Amino acid sequence: MTFRIRFFLVCMIVLVMFLLHNSFFLWNLDGYVPLLFGFMPFAYSYYVGYAILAVLAMKLISDLAWPDPPEEITSQFGDKESSKQ
Amino acid sequence: MINLVGIGLLVIYFFILIAIGFYGGRIARKTREDYFMAGRGLGSIAVFMALFASNITAFTIIGHAGFAYETGYGAYGYVIGWSIFITPFTYYLVGYRSWLLGKRYGFATQPQVFGGIFKSKLVSLLFLVFLLYYTLPYLVVSIIGGGLAFTTVTEGMVPYWLSALVIIGISLVYTIPAGLRGTVWTDIFQGTLFLVVAVMLLSAVARALGGFSEITAEIVRDNPAMLQRGLSEELAPINWFSYSFINSIAVIVFPQIYTRILAARSSLNLKQVSMYYPLALAVIFGVSTLMGVWGSVAVPGLEGQEADNIVPMLIHQFLTPTWMVLGLVVVLAIVKSSIDSQLLAVSHLVTVDFLPRFKRLSSMQAVFWGRILLVIFAGIAFYVALIQPGAILSIAGFAFSGFSVMLPVMIGALYWPRANKYGATAALIVPAVMLHLWYLDVLPRWTTFGFMPVFPSFVLAILVLIVVSYLTPAPPPEQREKTFGLFERVFQ
Repeated sequence: MTFRIRFFLVCMIVLVMFLLHNSFFLWNLDGYVPLLFGFMPFAYSYYVGYAILAVLAMKLISDLAWPDPPEEITSQFGDKESSKQ
Repeated sequence: MINLVGIGLLVIYFFILIAIGFYGGRIARKTREDYFMAGRGLGSIAVFMALFASNITAFTIIGHAGFAYETGYGAYGYVIGWSIFITPFTYYLVGYRSWLLGKRYGFATQPQVFGGIFKSKLVSLLFLVFLLYYTLPYLVVSIIGGGLAFTTVTEGMVPYWLSALVIIGISLVYTIPAGLRGTVWTDIFQGTLFLVVAVMLLSAVARALGGFSEITAEIVRDNPAMLQRGLSEELAPINWFSYSFINSIAVIVFPQIYTRILAARSSLNLKQVSMYYPLALAVIFGVSTLMGVWGSVAVPGLEGQEADNIVPMLIHQFLTPTWMVLGLVVVLAIVKSSIDSQLLAVSHLVTVDFLPRFKRLSSMQAVFWGRILLVIFAGIAFYVALIQPGAILSIAGFAFSGFSVMLPVMIGALYWPRANKYGATAALIVPAVMLHLWYLDVLPRWTTFGFMPVFPSFVLAILVLIVVSYLTPAPPPEQREKTFGLFERVFQ
């Protein structure tokens, strides 16, 4: 899979996360299911779940489109004192 | 009232910070790279805590809890929901590519990275000016928030001016000798401290109020509106959507955050930070949300700014004085870890991006000037925090939006080879001007079509960057090669 396609998948993950955050149609559940498992407010526990999903999403993004710099690049990382600053 | 145990805890806390600064100063090499960038050798835990502690401000415990007191559980998703994912994602989107350029070409700040990509002194200057313009009022507001919190928690025993002085003074004691290394070490200490103590405080308050289930049942019974986002006017969908463009995407633009990313040792460090960052954000804001909502039934009837003091009030009314001191330590740790990083960031920017325009500085001279500027900026910020001029406070009110509308230029520079210096210049200036016109009520609010001003300004930044770049000459191939040639070899 080319990087372009993998990056496209990353954009899709971002879009899904954005939609899940702006999921106004789910707000009705705040009233219908006020407490999840009888003690967790839905509006609150939704974002506890969202945080776990965010960890998984970042893991997926990292596996998909976050390559480490190759040796030929890292060998060029040197002393910066004489450089730009 | 604070007891002897409390005073002892405060003394230990301050002593640890000063000791870290002293030790950091002894082992630091007196070079620019070491002082401002910790030799670009920060490991995963150091980068994680440095970003997290700098990211969390007094707003988390004071303002956010007050907001949750008024709006309910929905405050959690509104304020931090999108940030939980998008903030660490921007560490990948913008942070990693910037880190690569920093490692390869020695860039250390946004003016250097984006001035370098566009080969433009004007773009570099605009980044410098806007970053200082938004960071300094934000710094002042952090000091005001911290000072007020300190005074509230000590029940006025420590006056506001002394609170602000202590907060800035101690920050300087460890930042001046040890630079970034000192602030990062204290961030590890303070970040861990405020995370752990905040959770302990929450659990103590829960016990005092009868337990988690009991409080929640009481809220369902007495104040059910706190559970339903749809009932809050402030959480209206259009505000909810607009807010996605304020605090969450602004974080990567903060100079204190950006520089810390560039100081990471390796790509792996950044990956690990991005992966676990959502949990830390969720925990700290989760704690303050619960405190705020619980406060609405435990201490009902607070209005406006009174509600912002709900956490100190809960501790004061339901816990022992020792817990009060622990609460104070949490507030101090949160406030100081963001203030020291902001102070260091502005002194870094001026030292490496402004002073060299007039005089070439050696590495040691840069460290010397960095330290002088730390004291100057701290003095100015302290004075402004005392007199609290309206103009500064109103700029701080939209500083986050100001940072956010700079993001399209940063993304364009890193992802779009056709973006040029003309487009970047226009896309930095135009949205900033519009933001001012909207926030200062020069333009009528209907012109934002109901959105918060940040959203149309953000869209405008994208449009201006694209249109102006296409209407003006493309960057020369050798200039593009410097940035995109490097990326092509990494992102295959």
